[in-house]
Parts: sequence; structure tokens; C-alpha cells
Amino acid sequence: MTFLKSAAIAATTLALMAGQGLANDFPSQPVEVVTHASAGGGTDTTARTMLIRARRELGTDAFVQIKKGGGGTVAMSYVSGKPADGHTLMAITPTHLITMARGRAPISVDEIKGVVRSTDDPIILVVSKSSGITSFEDLKAAGEKAPIKWGGTQAGGIDHIAAITFSNKSGVKIAYVPFDGGGAMVTNLMGGNIQAAGLNYGEAVDGIESGDFIPLAVMATKRLSALPDTPTLAELGVEDVNFSTVRGIVVMADTPDERVAALEEKLLKAMNHGTYQAYLEGIGLDNTSIGGAEEWDEQIRSMYANIYQTLGDLGLRK
Amino acid sequence: MEMLVGGLLEILQPQTLLLICAGTLVGVLVGALPGLSSSMAVALLLPFTIYLDPIPAIAMLAALYCAGTFGGSITAILINAPGAPPAAATAFDGYPLAKNGQAGRALGMAAASSVAGGVFSLFVLIFAAPFLATIAYRFGPPEYFALTVFGLSMLASISGKSAIKNLIGGAFGVLIATVGVDLTTGVERFTFGVPELYEGISFIPVLIGLFAMAELLDQAGQKDRPLERFAMSALKLPTVDDFKRVWKTILRSSGIGTFVGILPAEGSTVAAMIGYNEAKRWSKNKENFGKGELEGVAGPEAANNAATGGAMVPTLALGIPGSATAAVILGGLQIHGLRPGPYLFENQPNLLYAIFFAMLLANFVFLAFGLVGARYFSRISLIPRQFLWPAVFCLCVVGAFGVGQSLNDVYIMLIAGFIGYFLNRAGFSPAPIIMGLVLGHLVENSLAQSMILFDQDAWKFFTRPIAVFFFILAVVSIFSTPIGRLIKSRKREEADRLAHGNE
Repeated sequence: MTFLKSAAIAATTLALMAGQGLANDFPSQPVEVVTHASAGGGTDTTARTMLIRARRELGTDAFVQIKKGGGGTVAMSYVSGKPADGHTLMAITPTHLITMARGRAPISVDEIKGVVRSTDDPIILVVSKSSGITSFEDLKAAGEKAPIKWGGTQAGGIDHIAAITFSNKSGVKIAYVPFDGGGAMVTNLMGGNIQAAGLNYGEAVDGIESGDFIPLAVMATKRLSALPDTPTLAELGVEDVNFSTVRGIVVMADTPDERVAALEEKLLKAMNHGTYQAYLEGIGLDNTSIGGAEEWDEQIRSMYANIYQTLGDLGLRK
Repeated sequence: MEMLVGGLLEILQPQTLLLICAGTLVGVLVGALPGLSSSMAVALLLPFTIYLDPIPAIAMLAALYCAGTFGGSITAILINAPGAPPAAATAFDGYPLAKNGQAGRALGMAAASSVAGGVFSLFVLIFAAPFLATIAYRFGPPEYFALTVFGLSMLASISGKSAIKNLIGGAFGVLIATVGVDLTTGVERFTFGVPELYEGISFIPVLIGLFAMAELLDQAGQKDRPLERFAMSALKLPTVDDFKRVWKTILRSSGIGTFVGILPAEGSTVAAMIGYNEAKRWSKNKENFGKGELEGVAGPEAANNAATGGAMVPTLALGIPGSATAAVILGGLQIHGLRPGPYLFENQPNLLYAIFFAMLLANFVFLAFGLVGARYFSRISLIPRQFLWPAVFCLCVVGAFGVGQSLNDVYIMLIAGFIGYFLNRAGFSPAPIIMGLVLGHLVENSLAQSMILFDQDAWKFFTRPIAVFFFILAVVSIFSTPIGRLIKSRKREEADRLAHGNE
């Protein structure tokens, strides 16, 4: 088996050296993208939109395979059971990393390798106008006196981890209020039931434009092009709190590097096409969402480290 | 006004019109078929609507809901086998009328009063829902908690069966809702290490199992019963004289039906029973009831159709289902990414009007179907079971699989079906379980959220007037049932005494 594998690698390396060989050999069969969420949801739509052009770039059929359940567990065991030959891709989100960090996943973070990042939607720290908080200093002052009522999604999910990590690193006390979706968060922020929330740009934009919401900071390394006046948390002196609703493609780590490189190149090309760009624009993002293998892989690992740490603090890790 | 036109334009798409007509036709058919109910048909159709846009999908389901309630009256009158529970009261006088050779007149009255009740309630919907939605802007977790408690308090009387069994069923539904990772703590509950259960038990498979699969199992165990069918040449719309006789009843029943429909969890069946009782109470021909009284047809039929529009009010405005079928439609809205509640009108201004027009249209389409085809619809009850139920089984499996494309959902559907079968035999009805499942998440999460907002001080609920209002309603609804029963039994005793005194 190992011999066969190394023989195969040797053969493909030879083919690569011979010139165009590999490009013709891979992909040799339809490519599947395994997702963990329902049809019509964000992850599903992102994968499908990417595949519209990717089919042409890959020169083969490509389809979305839904393996729902267990916070990505079902998808991860499916992918780990397939040959690591670059024909089985997995669309991952922070949910998968959380499942891994909680020790519920069949694979560990070291067993996956980033290929491309397809969306990167940073969490924005937003306060409501009715809370009386207008600046980051106000928030710090208020948060030292009494916990800030902070809305987010599912406890133990990425919003929760982001809020707690922020609280730990900034000293702002937080009472985390979980809601079952972005819509509920926005309406409760609007109605004054909560004072602050971690929102995506698409969720916050209406409130920001109407003046009901004030964006205080972005949980990313760079400012958002749509909100040029909103600083990053690092600029405000709170380092390493970078969280986003991020989606990207990974393969199993033992997939040959040349195939990962080929997939990276073709998927990047597909996502730089107008079809995908229009989709990004439609959900309030831009081209900076798209990232190559190196950047994406690094982000997966730094996010995982933060998640692992915070879940431990919350007592949600085994 | 702009939104009104917008909603109308949404409906006037050829595809949407076709879907509404299809929904109406299916509704009349399943309504007419004993055993097949509109909630079951909506549950079975729901997975197939995923591929449609939200408005046509919901329009079709809403049309089906309206028409299903009318369809039940066809078989109730012609063969004394109510096609659906809401039509049970219609059979009391409809069947005797048919026996007297007035089947056409009875059906005509049923159709006309159904339309009248339906249209009346839709106008209430169009005015009440946005009004509710505007005050509902002030609905945060504490208000939702109180509202949901009120909704659950209505469970006791949701179906005609035992109140205590309904409450047990509701609690069972809430229990099912707790499976999975808890929203507010992130802790896994009742997952038994099965990854497929982390995200909870989905609503649709349970629904299909409890409503369709359980009924299928029940029907499989029954012997064929030869039915006596009355010949009917044509459906006769009520004459002016007939109208003069029943217009008060229709109006009263429309009001009763709409009101009962608006109450969370109270559906068409209860509305029809009350409508019938009130028709009898105020009638000049009391002694004729049960022997073929036209008012006895108009009363329940106007009420049960009025309840459909009424039930959509809390469903759309607050996200609290007004009836079992409305609970299924609520699930449909959620599948289409629409979050029912005060913000629905903000985000989807055309939707309310589109649903309104779809249901309005359905009312007239089923009237047309009734005029032309009542004779043929009644034949549906002659379809041999051995063909009908296997087809229903296929739909159950496909429907359960379709939503999540997961075989696990099929297993859940089958398990729910078997549980539902035995629960039915033990005298439990599926509606409270579904209601518990729908409201379970909401009641628990809104309480947990409220407690965080109130810094764990439950007394702060009393600082929220809307919450207090619903808590009071809940207390009233819990105690009114036993008190009502007490009064009834007192009256009965009194009546017995009087009767004995006359001897």
C-alpha cells in the first residue's frame, strides 16, 4: 500500500516533471464537495456558486454532497473514509473546528489541509444607539461596571467564543445572550433588549445605515472596505481577537501536494470569475474574502488555537 | 396599499395561480377523504415546496389548508363519514338532509357558508396581523416566553379528547424539542452519542410520522366498511329564502370561528363544534337540529373555515401557530428561511398580502370545484385502500427524506409513526405533540434568554406589561376549562332535576 502510494507519487512527480502530464491526469473523476448543512443555506449556496465555474476550470463534473449532522461530524467521517486523492473536498466552517476542539470529531485539525478560502465575513462589534454607548471607551467603561448584554448565536458556537475571547483580552465583562439566528439578534439589539452584538456586515448594514447601530470595531486583521472608519480591535489595543464567519475548502492532509496546488489554482480562478464575485457582492462581501492555500491554512490553525483555549475556559471541552 | 398591490401581483403569476388551484384541488380531495387530513397533506407536500420560491410555496399550502376544511363537508354530508375532523359537526344535520333527498341543497349551503366564513376571517387577518405585528415590535425574549406559555396553556383543549392526555402529549413534544445541543448552554442533551442527533430532531419527519404514517398504520388495521352513498345530481346554491334563514348563523359562526382560530392551538374542529352549538342555541327551530336543519350545516361550516384565516393571524404575526395545520405551515415558512413574527412584514411586506390573496382565491376556487365536481369528489372515498395507502407510504418516505436528504430522517419518521399509532390507540392525539415540539424550543430558549437579560431575577418579568398580560391569559385559560366543566355539570344537574320534576 505504502509502496503503491509512493510509486503513485513518484509517477505523478515524474509526470509533472515531464510537463503537462499531471494537469491531464487530475482530476480523473467527478469532484465532490462535502458540506454539513442543509440545501439552500449559506455553506451550500457558497459551494454551489463556486462550482458553477469550477466545473469548467477542473474540466470535470463537480457536485455538492450533503452529509448533514453532528456539527460536521458526519461530513468529516465521510471525507476521512474516502481516498485522499483530491477528488473529495470538504467545505468547512468554524463549526467543524469547534467540533474538533470539543473532541467530538472523527479527525483532528492536523489531518486536514486548507485549499482555498471562499468567504470571510468578519464579526463586527456593534452596539445599539439606545444603549447610550457611542465609542469603544464607553463600552470599556460600561463593561467594567456591569456585564454588557451581548447577543450572539448558539452557546459554544463561534459568536460565543469570539465574545468570550474578546472579554478575556479586553477586560470588558459580558453576559452572553444566545439567539437562534442573526435576525433575532438584530431585532433584539434594535428593541434595546441587548446592548451589543457580534454581527456580520450583511446583518448589521441596515441598522448602521439607519443610525440605530454603531459599529465599534472589526474582529479582523484588516479594516473592512465597506466600513473604512471602523477600526480593527488590534488598533484599539486588543490583540489577536480575529473571528469571522469563514468558509473554505479543505482536503485530507495526506493528499499529494501537487493536487492541492492544482485544486487551489483552479478554484481560485473559478472564484475570481464574475459569477462568484457577484455572489460575494450580493452577501455584502468583496474579493478579499477569497484566499489561497497558505493564508487559509494559517487562519484555520490560528482560529483553532483560539477556539481550543476559549472552549477550555468555558468548560465545554473534553 | 402599495403592498396590497404588490401581494396581488405576486399571486397573479401564472405559476403561482396554477399552484393555488392545484393546492385547492388537493385540499378538497384530501379533505373529502376520511383519514387524510389537511395537516397531513400540508406535511407531505411541504418537502416538495423547497424547490419553489417562498411565496408560491406558502400560497399553495395556505390554499390547501382553506380547501381541506371545506372538502371534509362533502363526505360528511353524502356518506356520513366526515373527511376531516372539522367537518364532524357538519354531518349532524348534513347527512339527515342528504337522506331526505336534499344532498345538493346541503352541500350548496356548506359551500356558501364556507366561503362566507373564510372570506370574513381573511379580512380580519389583513387588519389584525399587521396591527399585532406593530405592537409585536416590543416583543423580546420575556414577551415571547409569556406568549408561549399562553400557547402551551391552550393545549388542554386543542382536541376533543382528554385534557390531561393533551397536556401529556404537549409535554412529550417539548421533550422531543430538547434533543440536541442546547442553544443557551451548548450542552448536548439526549443525543446518546449519536452525531445525527446533535442538531436535534427535525420537525418535518416527526410531523409526517405522527400525522400520516400513524394514520396509515391505523387504517391498515381496519376492515373495509361498506358506505351508503346518496345520489346527487348537482350542487344547489342556497336560495334567497335559505339565505334569509341562515345569514345570522353564518355571521355569528364567522365571528366565533375567527376568534377561536386566532387563539393559539385552537383549530377548526373546536370552532365548528362551538359554531354548531351556538347555531342551535340561537335558532328558532331547535327541535329540528339533528334531523336535517340547514342552520346546522351553515353554523359549523362557516365557523371551521373562518378558523383557517383566524389561525393564520398569530402564525404570521407572532410565530405562534393558531392550529395544527398552521403549525405545519409555520414549519414551511421556516424552511423557506422566513422567520415568522413581527419582523416578517418588515422584511417580506408582500408575503402577508400574497397569503391573503391566495387564501381568498382558494375560497372561490373551491366553490367552483364544489359546484362542478362535488359529485365526483364524493367518489374519492371509493378508492380502494390497497391503492391509496401504499401511495401515502411512498409520499411519507420521500417527504421525510427530501428535507435534509438524510436517511436518519426517514428512520425518525418511521419511529414517530409507530409511536403515533400506539399513542392514538391510547387516546392521545398528535396535535398537542406537534404543538409542544414547535413551541418547545421557543419556551425554553426565551426563558433562558430572559433570565440572562434579567440578571437571573425572575421577578423582573413583572416589569414587562405585555408579558404580564399573557401570563394572566394563560392562568385564565388553564382555570377556565375546569370551571367551564363545573358550570356545565351544574347545568346538567339542574336540567336533570327539572326533567325529573316533570315526571
